[in-house]
Parts: sequence; C-alpha cells; structure tokens
Amino acid sequence: MNTSDRQLRFGWWALLAYLTLGLALEALQGFKVGWYLDVGHETRRLMFTLAHAHGTLLALVNLAAGLTARTVKGFELAASASRSLLWAALLLPAGFFLGGVVIYDGDPGLGIILVPVGALLLLYGVVRVARDLSRVKE
Amino acid sequence: MRSPPTGNLRKFWPASARRGGAAVLLAASTALVAQAGFAPDSPAPANRPVKVLGAGYVSSDACRSCHPGNYASWHDSYHRTMTQVADATNIPAALDGFERAFDGWDYRVERSDGRFFVRKRPQADAARGWLEPQQIVLLTGSHHLKIFWLETGEGRTLVQFPFAYIVEEKIWAPVVQTFVLPPDANNFYAAGEWNGACMDCHVTQGRSRFVDGDKFDSQVSEFGIACEACHSQGADHIAQNRNPLRRYALHLGDRRDPTIANPERLKAAAANLACGQCHSVWAFNSMADKIAWNREGVKFRPGQPDLQQRFVVQPNTPDHPEQKKMIRDTNPHFIGDRFWGDGMIRVTGREMNGILASPCAKGGEFSCLSCHEMHPKNLTAAEQKAWTSDQLKAGLDGDAACLQCHAKMKTQITAHTHHAAASEGSRCYNCHMPHTTYGLLRGIRSHQVSSPTVAESQLHGRPNACNLCHLDQPLAWTADKLTAWYRQPAPALSADDREIASGVRWLLSGDAGQRALVAWGMGWAPAQQAAGREWLYPFLLATLNDPYAAVRFDAWKSLRTLPGFTDFAFDYTMDEAARQAAASAAYARWRDQVRRAGALYPAATILDPAGRFRPDVLQRLLSQRDHRQVFLAE
Repeated sequence: MNTSDRQLRFGWWALLAYLTLGLALEALQGFKVGWYLDVGHETRRLMFTLAHAHGTLLALVNLAAGLTARTVKGFELAASASRSLLWAALLLPAGFFLGGVVIYDGDPGLGIILVPVGALLLLYGVVRVARDLSRVKE
Repeated sequence: MRSPPTGNLRKFWPASARRGGAAVLLAASTALVAQAGFAPDSPAPANRPVKVLGAGYVSSDACRSCHPGNYASWHDSYHRTMTQVADATNIPAALDGFERAFDGWDYRVERSDGRFFVRKRPQADAARGWLEPQQIVLLTGSHHLKIFWLETGEGRTLVQFPFAYIVEEKIWAPVVQTFVLPPDANNFYAAGEWNGACMDCHVTQGRSRFVDGDKFDSQVSEFGIACEACHSQGADHIAQNRNPLRRYALHLGDRRDPTIANPERLKAAAANLACGQCHSVWAFNSMADKIAWNREGVKFRPGQPDLQQRFVVQPNTPDHPEQKKMIRDTNPHFIGDRFWGDGMIRVTGREMNGILASPCAKGGEFSCLSCHEMHPKNLTAAEQKAWTSDQLKAGLDGDAACLQCHAKMKTQITAHTHHAAASEGSRCYNCHMPHTTYGLLRGIRSHQVSSPTVAESQLHGRPNACNLCHLDQPLAWTADKLTAWYRQPAPALSADDREIASGVRWLLSGDAGQRALVAWGMGWAPAQQAAGREWLYPFLLATLNDPYAAVRFDAWKSLRTLPGFTDFAFDYTMDEAARQAAASAAYARWRDQVRRAGALYPAATILDPAGRFRPDVLQRLLSQRDHRQVFLAE
C-alpha cells in the first residue's frame, strides 16, 4: 500500500471516529450531563471540543494529503510526512481528549502532553508536504 | 484533476492586490488594537467608594480562568452580592416612584437614566420643597434584606437610605424596623457609618480612608466578599503559577501551594478564623490598629493564627482583659447587645463565637467547614439553589452533620432523645443548636452546640431547646424530663415555672429579644406540631401591637402560617393607633370566623376554655415584662 492509499484509508476512518466523538459530545449536551457541562468542568468541555475539532480537521488533512499525492503529477508523499500526519491526527486529539478526562480546575490532565508532540509532527508533515510540492517540476 | 499552479506567489497575487491586502490588514489591526487597548476608561465615580486594587489583591476576575468551578459557586453565593454597586439590575424596580414618610421627612425616589435618586423634604416645613437629589450608589445585602446607601456630596462618604427592602415579603420598611432596636431609635446610622464600620466586613479588603470631618475617600479591592477574602491576595499566586511545571507539580503532589490560603486545608482553628474574621464579634486591639486598618485595610490573611489588629470578643474568656475592660467602660451595653448572660452569642452573623464556645471545638478538629462548604461540586441546579441559603455541605442539613463525629448515636437515637426516631424531637439540631440566635428578622440556629437546660432559661432568659418546641409546656415539665432522662439536677421552681407555659411567659414578660424569638418560633412548624396551633392565635394577634417592630413582624409572619390567616395583610410599620385597629379587627376575625369549635386550650397557656385570655394572669405577666431597651447588634 502506497502512502496516498494509507493516508486516504486512515483519513476516512479517522473522520468516522472523530465525527462519532462529536455525536457523543452532542449526546452529552442533549442529556445535560453535568460531568461535561457543569461550569466547574469547563476545562473538560473545552478539551473534548478541541479533541473533536482537531481530530476532524486532521482527518481531512490526511485526506487532503492523500488526494494531493494522487493528483499532483510528480509529487510523492514522503514516508516521514505520511507518518507524521497520521500520528498527528492521533496524538493531537488524543492529547486533548485525555487532558479532559482528568482535570485540575482550569488545567487539563497530563494527557495534554501529547498535544505539543502531535503539533510538532503536524508541523513537520505540513512543512514537508509544502516543500515537496514546491519542488515538483511542471 | 488539474494540477495546482506552482511557482512564485507573485504570479497569482499581483502587486496592486498585495498592497491593497496589506493596507486592509494594517487598518483592521489598528482598529482592533485601538478598541482593545486604547479606549479611554470611564472616570471613577467620585460620589462613592471605588474599586482600587492594592496590596497584591487582584479581584475575582483574575481567579476565574483557572478556577471556573469555584468562581461559579462563589458567583452564585450571597457572599458575592453582600455589597453591590447599585444599578437597575439589583435595585428593586418598585423603588421607582417610591414615596414614604419617616421620622419627620417625606422621601421620594426618582429614576433617571438608569440611576435612582432620593429626594426628601421636612414634613414640618413642606414649603421648603424637596432637597437636592442624592443618588443611590451602593446596596448591602441580597438574601434577606437590601439596604441602600446614598451619596452625600462629601467625597466618597455614604449615608443610609432609611428604608430597607425585605426580599422574601417584597415589602419596604424603615431600616430601624428591620432590627431589634428600641422603638424610638430612628437615627441609628449616621453619615459615614458605612465607610467607618460596615465596609470592615461587607467588602473585600476595604480601606475606609478617613480624610477629615465626616469625609472619607474609601476604596475596596472588590465589592462583596470575594475569593481573596478567604484565600488571601492573589497576585503572587498568579505570578508563580504562570509556570505550568509548578502547577502540575502541585496538581500531582501533596504539597500545598504556599502562595495562597485554602481554608479547606487549614487546621480547624485557622479555618475558623478565615470565616470568623467577619463572622464573629471582634474589636480592635488598639486605636492605632483601627487607624491602620482604616488607612491600609485588613492585615490579617487567612491561614494566620490570629486576627492581627483585632481579637474575637468572648465575654467569658481571660484573653485581652484590658481591651475588654475598655469596651465595657466605654459601651456598657456592648456585651449585652450581643450575648446572653452566660456568654452565648445571641445575634446572627457572629457564628464563630458560638463555634469557639462549643464542646465540639475542644477536640481541635471542629470548624465551620465541618458542616459548611463554599464550593460544592456536582450539584443539580435545584441543589445549587438550595445550597446558597446556608452553604451547607450536601446532606448535612440534618443529623448527618453531627453523626460525622457522634457515629455511635446513629443506633441509639430514640434511647438518647426519648422521642420517636423520625420526629423533630430526635433531630440533633433541634436540641443542640436551637433557634436562640436572632437576626434578619428571624430566629436562627445557635452555633454554640449545647444541651438544653432549665437553668439557661431561669438565669439568662434564653429559651431552652425543649420549650422552643414545647411552647405550651411550663419549665417544670421540662425540668422533669431533663431530670428523668439525663439526670440533670432538679432546679428550684417558682409557681409560674410550674403552671405557666414557657412560650407564654417569654412572649408576655420577656425582653424584646426573647419576644422576637418566641414570636418567630410560634410559626416554626416543629413547634406548632409539638405544642398545637389553636392557642397561638390570640398570642400572635396580641403581639401585632408589640412596641418593637421586629417582634410585630415575626408575629405577623407566624400568624400567616396558621389556617385562616395565610393571606393576612398587615403593615407592621404602621403607627400605634393603626396597628391597634388592625390587630383588633384581626382578633375579631379569629374569634368570629377562624376559631374552631371544640378547640382545646391548655390551662398553662392562660387561655380559658373559650380561648380568651385570663385577664388577671395576663395583666400580671405583662406587668412583669422586661422593658429594658434591647438592641440586638447583628
């Protein structure tokens, strides 16, 4: 399986997972679950919302990367960029999510440590794709 | 799919578009910065105390982002609204167009541009016309009473609007008639009283800043009782906790954060002081301390072992002998206005005095926070609303509060109480924290945990817990029970102790404080359950004309708990002639329409079988009334 196939496959599954998370958050809203909605759990709500938003966006980024690799002639998605984007789409939302499971007032739980790791991977992946695209000869 | 164009950005964005875009971006940024950072602040009002941060105080605004839950529970509390800047959202709308007379003056309130102004004119010289309007600038209280403060034209000095709003009843009354105060005490609060005294406790880190004459330039760190009142100033806490590593080390470890006080983690004595810095009868150690306090604000910080410039006044403890002597010499009524004869606190808002004198406190573990909490978690909206009233921990509005320590009582309730386990007579609070404290126009539970005795009533006039329920029983009945059940020594008893219901004697012969407590107690459901209701009517009706306004108010409120009078309208602030007429009409209504045929009136209640007073006993008890002037300094 080449990187674009992997990116597309992962992107669609990730999109499903993160949209499902969004649905779950809507259910928590709908049933007015205090653990999610109470003012004292503001940080949890923010973290879960960020997990859903980042996950969905990063799933789309992976889809875009896969599609880019398929449609741009002469462009090949580097393995390292591919892996970075995949891991970013896992670590960033997971960091937010885990950071919301246990909270300390205004501070998220330790899971939040995953977020900067994921962010760096994302940054690397995006830079690498952008750079490689810029070097493609017409 | 067409490949995206590659190459230089300049190919797709011509120079003109780039320049235009940059100009738009620059303009937008400038507008945003100007709006956010350079908008002129509105000048601080000159006619009232103002919020000025100092001494490391940062106000609750700075606490909110890191402690959203605690901020929210505080925001729901009446501590926050203890003092508020007056505006259209917190002043009752009914004040617009308010017109009343009091103590020789006509008052009129006008609303203009969202602000409220009071005008007054002397009744004796109406031709003089209305004086200059005074803006209502602050209000104190929000739970039971709202008291309003007016500008004076003398800097930030305030004077009291003489009418208060009683929240539950939605009525207005002269402020002096919302306290147990002698009937002729019409001018209790002078101009500057708020600055010089009230703001000591009704704001966070207030500085009176006396200037000269009656003039003050008062500042507060925050109106109302906010985070830093209990946790100490937050500037250093915030500065140090910008470092996430420090924060997570605190989150994940057991170490306390030394930059802030958390009363929940303090030892009981220090935790009590965090509350007791306001909830106690306190006095300054010296005039120098008072002056320093007025200039710079409170020095005490929660967590410290004593109140620094002040001390808690307990009448019977050996501490601060010189200061207490001076208090007694300069204000002979100071102790009596606040304490029962045996030193138990009798006014509300001073709960720490009771806590300190409780046997529970001797173990060193008992504190306000044994039963109360300021930041409850995971409450439903209804539970949250209920919490705001007394700020009790969940489930501790009953026996569970005491059973935390007295666990073995759980299986011995009936054996201990000699009352049915499910009855009010078996509730710990009712016997050990009875309603012998007064304030806010109601009886309030004593916070000095004690056991009922007949001696407390005989020697100090304090209604004992047994007879606060069994209002229809004489002291001898109580003495018999306490002797039989708890081996209390049998007291010497007078004929009236043996024959006349305690509730009747307190209401007819007691001082104004006792009468207020019993008038309120006659409307208390457990008392009505234990003592019956039928005999209460004539006493409450007669009490509608008590010389003390607060007693009349409580009689009226209690009367409204009785069938046939639930809709009874009565203005307890009326003059004596009007009151007498209203009380007589109400008595006739009871006698002719409400009184139940076949109702039994116990002999001890001095009513005859028809429910009429036995005049000889009534007159004798009234002639024994304690007429001393009572001012309960709540």
